[in-house]
Amino acid sequence: MIDYKKLDFKCGLEIHKQLETHKLFCNCPSFVNDPNKPDIIINRKLRSVAGETGTLDIAAEYEKSKNKNFVYEACSTSSCLVELDEEPPHPINQHAIDIALEIALLLNAKIVDEIQIMRKTVIDGSNTSGFQRTSLIALNGYIETSKGRVLIPEIYLEEEAAKKIKEDEKTIIYRLDRLGVPLVEIKTDSSIKDPEHAKETAALIGMILKSTGKVKSGLGTIRQDVNISIMNKARTEIKGFQDLRSIPKVIENEVKRQLSIIERNEELKNEVRKAEDNFTTTFLRPMPGSSRLYPETDVPFVIITKERISKIKLPELITIKAMKLEEMYNLPAQLARELINNKTFEKFVNKYTIEPSLIAHILIDIPKEIKKRNNLDPKKLKEQDFEFILDNLNKNIISKEAIIDILSEIIQNKKIDINKYKLISIDNIEQEVKDMVQKNKGASFNALMGIIMEKYHGKIDGKKASELVKKYIS
Amino acid sequence: MKKYNFKESDLIEIRTSSEKLQGVLMQSPSQNLVIKLNNGYNLSINKNDIENIKLLKKYKPQKEKEISQIKVNKSLPTISILHTGGTIASKVDYKTGGVSFKFTPQDLLEMFPELRDIANFKAKLVRKMWSDDLRFKHMSILTNEIKNEIKNKVDGIIIGMGTDNLAVASAALSFALESCPIPIILVGAQRSSDRGSSDAAVNLICAANFIAKTDFAGVAICMHENMEDNNCLILPACKTRKLHTSRRDAFKVVNEEPIAKVNYYTKQIEFLRHDHTKKGNKLIIKNKFEEKVALIKITINMTANQFSAYKGYKGLIIEGTGLGHTPLDVIDKETKEHDKIKKALENLSKNCVIVMTPQCIFGRVNMNVYSKGRDLQKIGIISGEDMLPETAFVKLSWLLANYPKAQVKELIKENLRGEINKRILPDEFI
Repeated sequence: MIDYKKLDFKCGLEIHKQLETHKLFCNCPSFVNDPNKPDIIINRKLRSVAGETGTLDIAAEYEKSKNKNFVYEACSTSSCLVELDEEPPHPINQHAIDIALEIALLLNAKIVDEIQIMRKTVIDGSNTSGFQRTSLIALNGYIETSKGRVLIPEIYLEEEAAKKIKEDEKTIIYRLDRLGVPLVEIKTDSSIKDPEHAKETAALIGMILKSTGKVKSGLGTIRQDVNISIMNKARTEIKGFQDLRSIPKVIENEVKRQLSIIERNEELKNEVRKAEDNFTTTFLRPMPGSSRLYPETDVPFVIITKERISKIKLPELITIKAMKLEEMYNLPAQLARELINNKTFEKFVNKYTIEPSLIAHILIDIPKEIKKRNNLDPKKLKEQDFEFILDNLNKNIISKEAIIDILSEIIQNKKIDINKYKLISIDNIEQEVKDMVQKNKGASFNALMGIIMEKYHGKIDGKKASELVKKYIS
Repeated sequence: MKKYNFKESDLIEIRTSSEKLQGVLMQSPSQNLVIKLNNGYNLSINKNDIENIKLLKKYKPQKEKEISQIKVNKSLPTISILHTGGTIASKVDYKTGGVSFKFTPQDLLEMFPELRDIANFKAKLVRKMWSDDLRFKHMSILTNEIKNEIKNKVDGIIIGMGTDNLAVASAALSFALESCPIPIILVGAQRSSDRGSSDAAVNLICAANFIAKTDFAGVAICMHENMEDNNCLILPACKTRKLHTSRRDAFKVVNEEPIAKVNYYTKQIEFLRHDHTKKGNKLIIKNKFEEKVALIKITINMTANQFSAYKGYKGLIIEGTGLGHTPLDVIDKETKEHDKIKKALENLSKNCVIVMTPQCIFGRVNMNVYSKGRDLQKIGIISGEDMLPETAFVKLSWLLANYPKAQVKELIKENLRGEINKRILPDEFI
């Protein structure tokens, strides 16, 4: 076991999350992935420019030494002249600012009086301009965790970089659909106590972001970078975590790597490393210097008035919402969490006399079951399809057992013959059950139930059928 | 707010009711106080919230590092760079975000090290100005600088300039230099050189290569061929127009072919025309321009006083519609004003040379096709053929300052510097 306290373990997070609005400095839509084929391909060079201190930044110099050509692929559906660096940026997206302000308030941070947009020199080609536009939105926030308060000294609003598609010795190919998508960057202080605590903090921030309902979801819409150091030696920034669960293991392995370097009396360097699938890290590039920002003079600054801040409505946090659902409808915790973003659940609960837990089961579990059992895509199901099921269930026309079959047919665009699934009153088959038991003397209860259910699958209430079989067996 | 004893660039600590902040004091774009935080971001603080400011450290400017003298390579030609402003070779002041013009050959070679292999460089900052602020007098200043450089035996000159009026300036220079022994290439940048994506380097390096490796003499422009960094075009001084507000390839040749194409990577130069003036002619400068010349664009709903306003002018360029037209005909009571416009033009035409150019930009004016054009000719308006309106403007100013009026009316129709193309070919359009 590693004693992190003894190692003077310091750890901070940088969380980047894409916002659900159009691009930050132009009016292009922000796709996570533009499905179209690129129709614009251009070849560019970038030059390193002298940094603020007059000397070339180390990271910039490192990239320059690679002397690459950059090929930019763009779709006209998701990129305009702004992404191609052929038109100056438009004024900053005000909706993105509002979302960022909402997030800042949820993180208890103090919002700046005026948003100043800066250019952060980036020479790896991932920004066609040679810099990333970024702005400080709020300061001095915090969140409460199980191991104490973690400070959030800074929150930024910035533009996403282009996506790297391919790289060889001479050329890097980038796709521009992602370039300019607004994202918030949330930086914690280095007070995170151990690898598990890092995961908890990341999860908590993720939950708060999701609670706004105004951030993108899905693969590639969030990035967690972890900064760590031990024994007050070099700082390592680890990028590229695939998911939260890998954070503790990767940190642990990185600490072990650093310990072994220290043991060998070798020098630990400040560097950026990549989290690999096998939970180790590999070298990416030297740590960029700090002096690489200068004002973006093409975009007017934005004064944030107290009135604007007071107009922001804060959402209920997902954890609180889930707890409420759990208690109110007597739902299992997991099901309650999954229902948070379901807009129809409460509407159906109010409309039908069906048990809320059954409605939840139909909305959340049944679609998963359909995918697993019938390999059909439940995303094709619309609100009205569930409404159709619940209507019939509510009027006792169909049984619970028929739901999967009906929904599967809907997914396959089949015409639904509801008669096929009509519930048969148990009284109507009592004679048949009686005859069958006599005919199959000695057969087990399970075998008899099998015969009945095979014939009346989905049309009779299974519980009542079993009571009937039991009655005649004895 | 209290008076404090600190200046820009000093390290200060600010206390507000809720927090303490440290940073370097910056120039503020607004009423707020701006500091640069340790993380590089600028933070703007409402002055009313500030309770106290403490000076932590006074700013001490760093000594500029000594730059070693540049060695002259005798096997290479010498190019002189005359800088007038714009974004072509500006340096950003990372403190303020403002653009500064440190402009020594050392600065240049530091910014564009590839230039070392092409030529020996001299550099001079002639003006720090937007090209929008150009006046004819600046053409005299530039031609005098050119004269000096030629006397000093340079092999070519690059003029760095803001792009807005770069094409107009190149036309003006082309008239002012009646004969020129060396290449004068105007270069601009659509992206400032403080950023990694600047087009300045490619434009400058291609221009230097073109000067060093060809026998071209006279005035031309060197800018990006398209949105890529592969090629630059050498564009004719009088037939090029900035046709886009922001793209790298904003400069397009109009009613003509580009002179040559320079590959940035391979350094290969391909001439697209073969009629250029060659090096070695005598230098003849005629750098006078008539001030009382104007350019007016035709729109619908014009009034006569828009024309009579130019009373006393020696020359007027009209950017006419279509083949070269203006409102002129009275067809109902709504168009009565047009009769007054006709009279205003007739009056103006008595003492002013009026030349018609196409507001379509591409194509040639032809005032024989419609009766309206014929009527305009009767008033005395001269066809400017396929000249760009801005080129016609500088040409007319130049002619009026250097020739008698009767000769001006003849010379305006003649091709003097490639400003008129008598044979427009199908490919010579967008």
